Amino acid sequence: MPERINYWGIPHSWGEPELYVYAIMFLAAAIMLLQFYRQASLWWKVGRPESRWDKLHIRLGRLIQYAIVQTKVLRQRYPGIMHAAIAWSYFVFFLGTALATVHDHFFEFLHGNTLIVYKFTLDLFTIFFLIGAGMAFYRRYAEKPEKLTLDKGFTWTLWMVTIIVLGGLFTESLRLAVERPDWGAWSVAGWLLARLWISTGATETTLTNWHLGVWVFHLLSVALTLVTLPTGTLLHALTGPLNAFFSELDRPMGALAPAAETAEGEPIFASKLSDLTWKQLLDGDACTECGRCQDACPAFNAGTPLSPKQFILSLRDSLHHNGSKPKLAGEAIPEDVLWACTTCGACVYECPVLIEHIDTIVDLRRYLVIEGMVDAELQTALTNLGRYGNSFGKSERMRAKWSKGMEPKVKNANKERVEYLWFVGDYASYSPTLTEITKQTAEVFQQIGLDFGIMYKGENHAGNDVRRVGEEGLFEMLVEKNIKAMSKADYQAIVTTDPHSYNTLKNEYPANGGHPVLHYTELLDQLIASGKLKFSKKLGYKVTYHDPCYLGRYNGIYDAPRRVIEATGCEIVEMPRNKDCALCCGAGGGRIWMEEGEIKERPSESRIREAAALENVTDFIVACPKDVTMYSDAVKTVGAEESVVVKDLIELVYEAL
Amino acid sequence: MANIVAIVKMVPDLVEELEINDEGTGLDRDWLRLIINEFDNHAIEQAILLKEREGGEVTVIAPETEGVEDMLFTTAAKGADRMIKLAGDFEEGVNNHALAHAFAETAKNHQPDLILTGVQANDDLDGPVGPLVAEYLGMPYIGYISGVTLEEGRAIVRKEYPGGLIGEMEVTLPAVLGIQAGEEPPRYVAISKVRQMMKTAEIAEAEISELDFSGGISAKRMYLPEAAERAEMIEGDEEEIAAKLISIFKEAGAL
Repeated sequence: MPERINYWGIPHSWGEPELYVYAIMFLAAAIMLLQFYRQASLWWKVGRPESRWDKLHIRLGRLIQYAIVQTKVLRQRYPGIMHAAIAWSYFVFFLGTALATVHDHFFEFLHGNTLIVYKFTLDLFTIFFLIGAGMAFYRRYAEKPEKLTLDKGFTWTLWMVTIIVLGGLFTESLRLAVERPDWGAWSVAGWLLARLWISTGATETTLTNWHLGVWVFHLLSVALTLVTLPTGTLLHALTGPLNAFFSELDRPMGALAPAAETAEGEPIFASKLSDLTWKQLLDGDACTECGRCQDACPAFNAGTPLSPKQFILSLRDSLHHNGSKPKLAGEAIPEDVLWACTTCGACVYECPVLIEHIDTIVDLRRYLVIEGMVDAELQTALTNLGRYGNSFGKSERMRAKWSKGMEPKVKNANKERVEYLWFVGDYASYSPTLTEITKQTAEVFQQIGLDFGIMYKGENHAGNDVRRVGEEGLFEMLVEKNIKAMSKADYQAIVTTDPHSYNTLKNEYPANGGHPVLHYTELLDQLIASGKLKFSKKLGYKVTYHDPCYLGRYNGIYDAPRRVIEATGCEIVEMPRNKDCALCCGAGGGRIWMEEGEIKERPSESRIREAAALENVTDFIVACPKDVTMYSDAVKTVGAEESVVVKDLIELVYEAL
Repeated sequence: MANIVAIVKMVPDLVEELEINDEGTGLDRDWLRLIINEFDNHAIEQAILLKEREGGEVTVIAPETEGVEDMLFTTAAKGADRMIKLAGDFEEGVNNHALAHAFAETAKNHQPDLILTGVQANDDLDGPVGPLVAEYLGMPYIGYISGVTLEEGRAIVRKEYPGGLIGEMEVTLPAVLGIQAGEEPPRYVAISKVRQMMKTAEIAEAEISELDFSGGISAKRMYLPEAAERAEMIEGDEEEIAAKLISIFKEAGAL
């Protein structure tokens, strides 16, 4: 019967080999933990306290999902398989080693078929690991993608984890070459290698001596890897899971936290490391430098100074290496880096270890705002928003000017009861190029018999992007004004045109009597489903649809707009970057109010080129007023007037009615 | 360490449509919305910059009109030390002589080293307040200033002339300066700071003696320019348009 022999091939003269093994391993583990503690203790020594120990079952679930199953890592095929092969194999090797320890000291069970399954599994994962490691070597030495940190530390890590596995494999194969058990072939990888040793005709003594040497080398390489783990790139194997475990649970992606307060109730405007929470500092140490955030970032790809990866790494550098620059905003992290962010959420969405880039960017922006360090255009927009409730600097009395002359007159929700309170938003209300679309929206609502009204001058900018600019006080003021106006209205649900307004009304406004907030695409979708909205025409266009960040990634609304488009008889051809991978137009997070700065290619232009490359697609459909502005400009600047026309989704609905 | 007083006022905000009163002699003030005079805002910025650079105290004085408190709290958030509103009937508008008297009277109490004010305002355009205050207080006045450096007992001021020339001149203190532009554009002040000031800062009220309306100018008639019908749109295809143009040119004797 197959039996496991503990410490096979270790000379008897060595006495008790487990003593050496455990002594070395405990020492290595102790050094590792001590080193790790030295690194990690800075999080709470420097950072502010924040409790993240609640809802442990959900946290544990996240740990399993993101650190063990690694669903985010697997979102990308090549690096996903590569990393899973390495990480999962190591999980199995750990488990195997632990089971062997149990067998050796507590409960003998590794014999017979159990041992065969055990050996077979470990060897299968050895092969799986080698495939993953091979992919990693190819990626690091041949492919060299730009987003990757091609640093010695990562190379060292890759070599070490590979050497450890090869050490184990060689040890096993040398033992098998001497023992030659009749079930040896179940150790698939080890057996193949053992046959190679056998074919060399080496004597048993030679093979046993080699075995001893490799075994010692294997042991020491494991110990060395452990010791260097906290100071090397393998640290992410500890910090990544911790970051997933301690990730934000209490608010949806679309809700930012208000500025933190000191014990005395003074707001904290984060400018230095000690203004951030320990979790924000952990973000820095959790970064695996995979570069997925940077790859997905519209600001980085446009050539602005922002790379979300470098941003997070500069937190790490400031904490551990850059003692002279504890100040972040404007020093370790330049202002233009902070202002370049469109808050599109792609970085946060892509991060395999759930780093929360945008929270920290906005925290630091809040400091810049309170210090008055804003550019002239943004200053004008904020001043206008503070004074007139819109960024256009127009009178609030002109907010509903677009509706002038409409018959019947659009109801004033502050005066009459309505079923739907339409929150129109700044761009749809004031931008001269958009009022025609806004009027069409109202006409569609009227034609389908929707009982709706608007708040006229009672409506203020909803504040989504004001908050993301970091002007929290102004955001609060706008919320107060809107809540006051809304409390005077009698309505069942809010419908918005603008995904930005939608996001903040839905996720950040105080619960408004439980009235649902709908984007107009959701409302139209519901009306189509219930049969209230029927189309008389089938348009038959071939179109593509751009997911607005604050509708898609932030609120998961991908299908409703697509269903509406299809109901108008159009065929949707997806762009390569669609749904949760959609590219931002570049206007979000207050970018639309800021000076553009030097850039290579505007995100909106990159997007239009992407759409123009689709065969036979004639229309570029958007569901956000800012998108109409951004993309209509981009179509002109890239000279794509011949290939695509930018249309708001409502224009299709209007035409197909 | 200078004692700087900024005298400022609110003027009609042009985002609202302006209406003429029934008499046709001025603005219908019922429909007005007021905003800080832009040049005065630069004067405030210059005062705060001087304080930050040289130390001292900044006092801001403004007549009591709609929105003046918000404006004064904003200047407090920028760094002004004292805010004073002139109590009186300013809502219906006063002439600049009356206003300058009221300013001078209150400013005098603060023994200013320097009085800064906007060089003009959109509701007068001839910029008399600065010179009048200087006259009433017996101080020198220089207008159209875009930079100030303080020295012992004097100020070096910068003034931009057409053609890109810059003049530098010296004035003994105390003096009144009419500010065209601050050395930096007016800063942004976060709403939370302004709101904080609304809770903590205090606006003092200064009683002024009877507003003396004499000596001012009054408009005989104020009106919006009447639209003239001079433009004629020519319609048709290219041929028709060309033919029409030729006949028009002939008619006008140009051909």
